[in-house]
Amino acid sequence: MWTTIFVSGISLGSFYVLIALGFALIFGVTRNFNLAHGELLVLAGYSAYWLWKAWAFPFVLTFPFAILVILLICLGLQRLFSRLRDPIELNSIVLSFGIAILIQNSMLFCFSGNYRLIRIPILSQGFRIPGFYVSYGQLTLFFLSLIILGILYVLMYRTYLGKALRATIQDKEAAALAGINVAAMGTLAFCIGAVLIGLAGPLYGCIHYLYPSTGHEATLVAITITIFAGVGRLGGIILAGWILGLAESFTVVLCGASWREMVSAVLLLTLLAFRPHGILGKGEE
Amino acid sequence: MIQSTSTKTFQYDAKRRVTVDRAGLFLGFLLLLTLPLMVQSNGYILQVFTHALLLASLALAWNLLGVSGSISLGHAAFFGVGAYGSALLSLEQGLSPWLTIPIAGLFATGLGLMVGLICLRLRGAYFALATLAFVEIPRVITGNWDALTRGSLGLVGISGLPTLRMGDWHVDFGSSITASYYLVFVYSLVLLGLVTFVFRSNMGLALQAIREEEIAAEAVGIHVNRYRLSSLLMSAFFTGISGACYAHLVRYIEPGLVYGLHFSAIPMIFAICGGRFTILGPAVAALVLYPVDQFIFHPLLPAGHEFLYGAVLILTVLFMPNGFWWRLRNA
Amino acid sequence: MEVAERIVILLQLKSLNKTFNNFCALSNIDFSVSEGEIVGLVGPNGAGKTTLFNLICGRYRPSSGNILFKGIDITDLKPHAICRLGISRTFQSSRPFPRMSTLDNVLVGHIFGKGFSLHTRPEDREMARELLEIVGIAHKAETLADQLTLSEQRRLDLARALATRPKLLLLDEVAAGFSPILVKQAIQLINRVRERGVSLLIIDHFLNLSLKVSDRLLALDHGEKIAEGPPHMVMRNRDVLQAYLGLRHQDEEED
Repeated sequence: MWTTIFVSGISLGSFYVLIALGFALIFGVTRNFNLAHGELLVLAGYSAYWLWKAWAFPFVLTFPFAILVILLICLGLQRLFSRLRDPIELNSIVLSFGIAILIQNSMLFCFSGNYRLIRIPILSQGFRIPGFYVSYGQLTLFFLSLIILGILYVLMYRTYLGKALRATIQDKEAAALAGINVAAMGTLAFCIGAVLIGLAGPLYGCIHYLYPSTGHEATLVAITITIFAGVGRLGGIILAGWILGLAESFTVVLCGASWREMVSAVLLLTLLAFRPHGILGKGEE
Repeated sequence: MIQSTSTKTFQYDAKRRVTVDRAGLFLGFLLLLTLPLMVQSNGYILQVFTHALLLASLALAWNLLGVSGSISLGHAAFFGVGAYGSALLSLEQGLSPWLTIPIAGLFATGLGLMVGLICLRLRGAYFALATLAFVEIPRVITGNWDALTRGSLGLVGISGLPTLRMGDWHVDFGSSITASYYLVFVYSLVLLGLVTFVFRSNMGLALQAIREEEIAAEAVGIHVNRYRLSSLLMSAFFTGISGACYAHLVRYIEPGLVYGLHFSAIPMIFAICGGRFTILGPAVAALVLYPVDQFIFHPLLPAGHEFLYGAVLILTVLFMPNGFWWRLRNA
Repeated sequence: MEVAERIVILLQLKSLNKTFNNFCALSNIDFSVSEGEIVGLVGPNGAGKTTLFNLICGRYRPSSGNILFKGIDITDLKPHAICRLGISRTFQSSRPFPRMSTLDNVLVGHIFGKGFSLHTRPEDREMARELLEIVGIAHKAETLADQLTLSEQRRLDLARALATRPKLLLLDEVAAGFSPILVKQAIQLINRVRERGVSLLIIDHFLNLSLKVSDRLLALDHGEKIAEGPPHMVMRNRDVLQAYLGLRHQDEEED
């Protein structure tokens, strides 16, 4: 039984990694906390659901569409975020909170409050390895998260563009002085973030019921993982995702499913309590 | 929003500020006092304004913390504990709401102390995120503690607002919507008076100083954490009271509702749009925006009418970061 | 000897050390300020002057060593408590409360600098206004602090610090970037402050102030005390010249 819990924890964690990547990237480069992250994710899920249900698109072909939708929205959002004044982190929270409410209510208007699920039967099938059971869905999540992280790794550490992005993550001012177009890096981060959200959204719709207010939980997960990992550490994100996934799986088994929702909140509070200055906590001045 | 980098020149005109405040207060008071007469028997309008007044009290309570520069995204925690505390005490122990409502406020203060211990070391964005996460804890506990709270089913049959007796004379605030309206009105007025007292006292001065420049505030002798904690506790107490009033007013509560994002978002939105650094701003925003939402947007868009709040918040942050009442006073 | 006995030591630093992540910002500083004295703190950029201020005011805690003020050990006290004991400071880049009026800025110092009262009395406002007059910005009393010019903000910083009624005032680069006229005004101001019985410790990187007003100079370089004494002595000290002007090369040739 424990191995099954372990497997489901890791796959849940991989799923969380997919959810959190876009948030972490946008925060790292632009220092904007995008609390509308979960809502964008759900919106991507809805657009995939709509194509799949109303137009009978094959599920795999819904991804480009979802990515396109989120890309357009994110480019618009980036315009809003770039107008914020200091303190950017706090103001971005308030702004994106408003955006989250806006998106949530638009989804309520367009898709109603009913629960929707993209049913892909093959994902829930699986096979038994001696000792535990693995579904294709779990395998997909696990390998997909690794592949995407791999691509991001190559992008960040093997290209000039990645070097510029990493420089911006570490120190905006210094990067600007070194001739990096920081504003363009911000736009780029929103674009890559949008692609990541567009990839994760349809998967979210297969795993989790879609309804307008469900994005809040995903946002909390993304925040927790980002703060856990620290800025600009891809390896940290996967570790944080797995730890959160495992913690939730074990909580479900040991305490019951209804306690699961508290896990990420408790983890986040513990992290913040021990790192009161946040991720960049190196004291002042 | 904390550190103003605005390049617009505001005339610091004390006279104008006083005039705007007095005019707003006088007009608002008169309109709200006579509202039941004006709308006659229309229960719906009165109900909406009762609710608007309750939300105004929430926004005022939120702003007791907000004036110190901290933005809380988790006031639903205090609201929910207040609602559940009072509802359970009156349901299970049969106590009068006159007693259970203040006790519920104390429960919320206790929770505020916990929030303070965990979150007060945090600043700005991280404080906001911590409060956002914190709400989940009382929500999940309330939803799971079936024996005490009846879990996620919620509580029904909560007693209505109480009766005030003075000798032979008595008013039953729960009996009619007009009576409830006046009770909430009086509560909001009392809270407004208290907020005014705090803001104008030297404690208000200290909270403003902390908000504007914490390091300098500390250097001139302000015990920063003590003031931040007291403002958090006061804010929690009155949010709890408002929650308790809500429970007895609506007479039905459930965890997903009273701990929901709605009651965290609403006071924050009203306070920020109205003006976090003003006394009246949050209340005015509540009394304008909520009726607009209910009378105009709700009939037009039954699903999704709350997009109004999102839109107003976005516009405020981008174009009027100090809120519209501040703008009105200092334009 | 008799004269020496009458001098009361106000502030005393005992072998003070401060390291940040293996970087030694201050090492073994022993130093004292007597009552009524004006001491200039000089040294090149990064010498540790502002760090020393932050240690005295309680923003940083020293890695080792003690700070005594009026004989009380204030090493572990919080900034607000230290302020109430009678040490107050200005900031290198002034930190006014931007969206409060100039008068309120000073009022905050007056009210919280020595304790707390719930309400502002008219005489508190009078005091605050008087201080604004002393620093010469009384005509801006009702202006929001972020509307002041840079030099006015420095004056405001000073007025707010004075409003806490300190025994010891720490000034961090009050006159940096000032024109000669403004420097002259600053000197007058400092002398007026001293007449109120306040001792001063002045950081003065550009030496445009401390040579004229200080009784004593303390020179720091790389976190170490390199010289201490009357201004003209310190300024002739070879280490100080070396630190400031990089005269090593020339010196060696002369030798």
